[in-house]
Amino acid sequence: MSDTRIIDVGEGAAIPSKSDWGLFNAWTISIIGALAAILYLVIAQPNPYQRLLVYLADGVVITFQVTVMSILCACVIGLITGLGRVSRNKAINLLASTYVEIIRGIPLLVQLFYIYYALGRFLNVHDLTAAIIAMSVCYGAYMGEVFRAGITAIDKGQTEAARSLGFNTKQTMFLVILPQAWRTILPPVGNEFIALLKDTSLVSILAVSDLLRRGREFSSETFLYFETYTMVALIYLVITLILSKGVSIMEARLSHYVRR
Amino acid sequence: MKRLFKSLLLVATCAVLALGVAGCGEKKEEKKAEAPAAAAPAAPKTIVFASDAAYPPMQYMNDQKEIVGFEVDVIKAVAEKAGFKAEFKNVAWDGIFAGLANGKYDAISSSVSITDERKATMDFSDPIMAIEQILVVGINEKATDLAGLKGKSIGAQIGTTSYFVVKDVKGFKAIKTYDEVGLAMEDLVKGSIQAVVADSPVAVDYTTKKYADKIKIASVLKSDKVENIGIAVKKGNKEVLDLVNKGLAAIKADGTFDKIKEQHKMK
Repeated sequence: MSDTRIIDVGEGAAIPSKSDWGLFNAWTISIIGALAAILYLVIAQPNPYQRLLVYLADGVVITFQVTVMSILCACVIGLITGLGRVSRNKAINLLASTYVEIIRGIPLLVQLFYIYYALGRFLNVHDLTAAIIAMSVCYGAYMGEVFRAGITAIDKGQTEAARSLGFNTKQTMFLVILPQAWRTILPPVGNEFIALLKDTSLVSILAVSDLLRRGREFSSETFLYFETYTMVALIYLVITLILSKGVSIMEARLSHYVRR
Repeated sequence: MKRLFKSLLLVATCAVLALGVAGCGEKKEEKKAEAPAAAAPAAPKTIVFASDAAYPPMQYMNDQKEIVGFEVDVIKAVAEKAGFKAEFKNVAWDGIFAGLANGKYDAISSSVSITDERKATMDFSDPIMAIEQILVVGINEKATDLAGLKGKSIGAQIGTTSYFVVKDVKGFKAIKTYDEVGLAMEDLVKGSIQAVVADSPVAVDYTTKKYADKIKIASVLKSDKVENIGIAVKKGNKEVLDLVNKGLAAIKADGTFDKIKEQHKMK
């Protein structure tokens, strides 16, 4: 069993290479296609699509809110967990590891139910708050692993060099290791962001009036299942594409900044 | 090499186990499929009814994972009288009508209220019984009608007539829709919402049994139209509709229907 293949990933492999066709790449095709489809449907068949779009509007806002809040909280939790996982303090390390193991072992849908309906009996939180807590706690654990991987990926020599220059442990981590780790961390974290955005559709189970819930309300009343879910899917696609573009722009910036 | 062998062995063991379990599962299913065929050599027509079995006391799951309830017993009696075999399938409420339109089952027996909007996309049997919309509130709530609940949150099951009653009423803080009426009641009990609108049999069941000490009926939401529940079939499915109507008329005529009502302590 010594099948070692060396895969040459080249310089800056994390950044997707630009297609040879210039503007004509997968992202532009998808976003223009999705926007054109929405526009076409709304103009060609204002009834029901225009009515549908108006009905879904506040759901989009809620989905957006849950996504942004959860991403922010999950990043903070993820960073703390990641640092805990590489800590030499055994208690902190154990705590962080246990958190990751437990949360990763429970499906997000079950966590949502648990926080809102099971813990809700003792601690009555608002549905939106419960949704954001569940999403952040779950994705915080996932991101903690990404952060840990990013931190451990930095060459040991960096730590040694920083320490020999008189930096203490804290300074080494925050001034030397983390700034370099960002570059490796960003692509997988970007993937987590996009996964999180899509998973916010699960919060509709708590009767949060997000995009999916609004769509379900509309279709259950009008029986226009095809029209409703086509529109819901297109809107999710547009939001996801915009987010993924944001992430890749950030990646490009960082790679420019730390070009080796 | 030894390691490889070990892991291969492990994989093989897992595969054998998985196959074994799957095999057992299959056998059980086969048995199930055989039994009805053997019992009924004449093979009467089987009609599959979709039920959202989260709607006590009309249709719900018992401990043996069977769909039971008032409407289930009614349909079983109807089947006996009209000479067909009734089979029940647990289907989530949201999407139950789409499944009917796509031909996944023959009929819906899930306390479906007969409305003009629904009549446009499906056909209904004769009414089984009339129901009313009930406002359920917390045990300490003083408001007795919708107007008294202005500025508060109210809930109902998604896509039900209970939701349609309140969806256009202005002045609520929020109108929340739940996948199951039980989740709405749960949210009311824990105080996230202040009221739930539900069908009368369900409201009575929840306020007298499960949460008798936590929630109560505030009032009946008066309507100028009588709301009936019936069996829904795909538009134009006269065969099933005729069978159901025939059986329904028969059990109402000979008193079986009233007996079932009495058994379930329905008003």
